[in-house]
Amino acid sequence: MNFHDPAALLSASRLTVSYPGTRALDGVDLTVRAGESVAIMGPSGSGKTTLLHALAGIITPTSGEVIVTTEAGLVTVSALSESDRSRLRREDFGFVFQQGLLIPELTVIENASLPLLLAGQSRATAEAHAVAWLARLGLAGLERRRIGELSGGQAQRVAIARAQVTGARLIFADEPTGALDSATSRETMTALLEAATDGGRALVVVTHDEQVAARCSRIVRLRDGRLDGAERAGSEEAA
Amino acid sequence: MTATTTTTGIPARPARSRRGAPIARLTWMLARPGADSLSTLLLPGVAFAVTTALLLTVAGGGAMFWRWPDEEWAATYQLLSGLALALLVIPLASLSGAAARLSARRRDDRLATLRLLGATGRAVVAITVLESALIASAGAVIGVVLYLAATPLVGLIPFGGAPIGAAAILLSPLWVAAIVVAIVLLAAVSAVVGLRKVVISPLGVRLKQSAPRVSWLRMLVGAVVVIVAFVTLQSFGVLPSYTAIAVAIAAAFAIGVGVLNLVGPWVIWLIARVQLSRAGTAQKLIAARTMLEAPKVAWRQVSGLAMTSFVAVVGGTGVSFLIKEGGPADQVVLFSDVRTGIIITLVASFLMVACSVGVNQASAVLDRRDLYVGLDRVGMPRGVLEAARARGIMVPLAWVSLGSAALGALLVFPLAGYALITAPASLLVIALAFAVGIALVSLALVATRPVVTRVLEHPERAQ
Repeated sequence: MNFHDPAALLSASRLTVSYPGTRALDGVDLTVRAGESVAIMGPSGSGKTTLLHALAGIITPTSGEVIVTTEAGLVTVSALSESDRSRLRREDFGFVFQQGLLIPELTVIENASLPLLLAGQSRATAEAHAVAWLARLGLAGLERRRIGELSGGQAQRVAIARAQVTGARLIFADEPTGALDSATSRETMTALLEAATDGGRALVVVTHDEQVAARCSRIVRLRDGRLDGAERAGSEEAA
Repeated sequence: MTATTTTTGIPARPARSRRGAPIARLTWMLARPGADSLSTLLLPGVAFAVTTALLLTVAGGGAMFWRWPDEEWAATYQLLSGLALALLVIPLASLSGAAARLSARRRDDRLATLRLLGATGRAVVAITVLESALIASAGAVIGVVLYLAATPLVGLIPFGGAPIGAAAILLSPLWVAAIVVAIVLLAAVSAVVGLRKVVISPLGVRLKQSAPRVSWLRMLVGAVVVIVAFVTLQSFGVLPSYTAIAVAIAAAFAIGVGVLNLVGPWVIWLIARVQLSRAGTAQKLIAARTMLEAPKVAWRQVSGLAMTSFVAVVGGTGVSFLIKEGGPADQVVLFSDVRTGIIITLVASFLMVACSVGVNQASAVLDRRDLYVGLDRVGMPRGVLEAARARGIMVPLAWVSLGSAALGALLVFPLAGYALITAPASLLVIALAFAVGIALVSLALVATRPVVTRVLEHPERAQ
C-alpha cells in the first residue's frame, strides 16, 4: 500500500484488466484527491468504462491495486469479497449513470432516499436527507412526482441526489450527460460538479464530451487501455 | 454478390423491388437461436409446454368422469368435475396468457425497429404471428410428451376407492390435437393483441408516466351485483330439478368470478397502499410500489386462487363433516372422492399460479435488466432485490388465498369449528395443501434466481 498518497481519496496502481484475447486496461496508475473532478476520456473501446468499473469495485482487476480512503481507514478494493465491495459501493461511493437508472415505480423522494434505507436508516431520516439534497439540486416541490413525469435533466439530478445522499466522498459518473441536450447537459454538469466536489469530495467522470471534460479539474485520456500522454488540467470551473 | 458502384465510389442504389417483405426470412433472422435465445425462445417455449401439459392433464381428468362406471353417481361426479374444471379455467387462462404475452413482448423492441426501417404493419404482424405460432407449436409438442410422461404418476390418485390408473386420463389423439391447435391459436391471437402498440406507433412501446388508479367504484359495483344476485337467486324458490340446481350453481359461480375480478384489483391496490405507508425498508417500499404500479396484473396472477381457496375451505369442511357423520359405503366413497378432488383442484391451481409466476418473473427480470444491473452496481444487496421481488408476489398471494380461505371458514363457521374438533385430520390435509401450494409458488420464484444471476454477471448477453 505504500503507493497511496495520504492526501488521496483513491489511488490505483498498475491496474490491468484482461479478458480472453484482449487487454482492456494495461498498467494504469491514477490518483484522485479530495476536491478534484477527474474526466476520463478516450475513443470507444479505449477502456474508459472498464477503468471506472475497476476503480469503483464493480469488477476485479486482473492485476494491480485500488486503494480508497474511507471513514474506517484505507481499504484495498481489489482485496475485498463481492459482498464487501457491494457494501463499499453502497456506503462510500455514489454513482450516476447515463440513463439515471432510477426505479420508475418509486417517486422522486423514494428514489433519492433509497441508499439510506439500504444502509438501515429509518424512512423518516432517509427522506429528510433526500429532501435536503433534492432542494439543493433545484428539485424542491417535485418530491412526490414519479420518474416518468420528469424531464431528462430533472431525472439526472435525482440520480445525483441519490448518489450524494449517503455523504459518499467519491462519486463515479458514466456519461452522465450522454442522453441530454447541450443546455440540459451544462445544467446537469454544473449540478454534478457543485455537489460532488465540495466538502472534501471528488468526482470521477467518464465522458465522450470535450465540453463536459473541460469543466473538470483534470482530464486523463486512455488509448488501447493505457493512459495516453500527459494529463491535462481542466478549465477555470475546476473545483 | 457485390454491389455495383457509381463513378464517385458510392455503392449504387439497388433497383426498387415490387415484392413485399420476405416474412419467412425475416422471421428466421429474428428468431434464430443466438445469445439471447433464453428470453426469446426458451422461456416462452417452456411456458407453452407447461401450459399444454397441465391443460391436457386437467382435460383428461375431467373426461374421465364422463366415462365413470358407477351409473348412480355418474351425474354427481360429472357436475363436480365440471365445477373443478371451471375453477381451473382462470389460473389456466392466466398461465396461457402469460406464456403468449411473454412470447409477443420479447419481440417488441426489434419489431419496433423494423417498423422504423419501413416494414409495413402487416409485415410486422405476420412475422410476430408466425414466430409466436412456431414457438407455441414446439412448446405444445413438448407439453404433450410431458403429459404422457406424467400420466403414470397422476394415475396413482385414488377415486372410487382405488387408483384411477394411467389409462384413465389419456385423451384421444383427436382431443390432444385439438388442444394443441387451441394453444397455438391462442399464442397467435395474443401476439397480435400484444403488438397493437408497435403497429400503431413504433415509438410508443414503453412509455409509462403515471401509475394506474383503481377506482373504489369497483367495490360499490361489486357489492350491488352481489345483493342483486342474492335477491334474484332467492326468488327462484326451491329449485325443482337437477338441471336447475346445475344452472343455479353455474350462475352463482359466474357471478362470484365476475365480482371477484371487479373487486380484486381494488383490494390489491388497498393492501399495497397500506403496505406503502408502513414500508420501513427498501424491499417493502419497492414491493408495495410494484403492486401499486399494476394492481390488475398482480390480481390476475393470483386471482385463480381466490375461488379455489374459498371452495376448498367451504367444500372441504362440508365433506369432512359428512365423512365423519358416516352413511352408506358408496356415499362415504363419494365424499372421500370429493375431498380428493378439492385437494387436487387446490394444488393444481397453485401449480398453475406457480408456473405463471415463474414465467412472468423471468420475463420481468429480462425486461428490467438495465435497472437491475444499475442497482447492483450502486451496491443494492442481492438479498434486497430478491426480497422485493418475492414480496411483490407473495403478499398478494397470501392475502388472496388465505383471505378467501378465511372468508370461507367464516361463512361456515359453526360447521368448520365442529369439523375441526371431530375430523381434524381432514382439515389438516386441506391446510397442508395450502402450505404445499404456497411453497410451490415460492419455489417458482427461487427458480427465476438464475435469470437474475445471469443478468448481473453478463448484462450484455442476457437480452
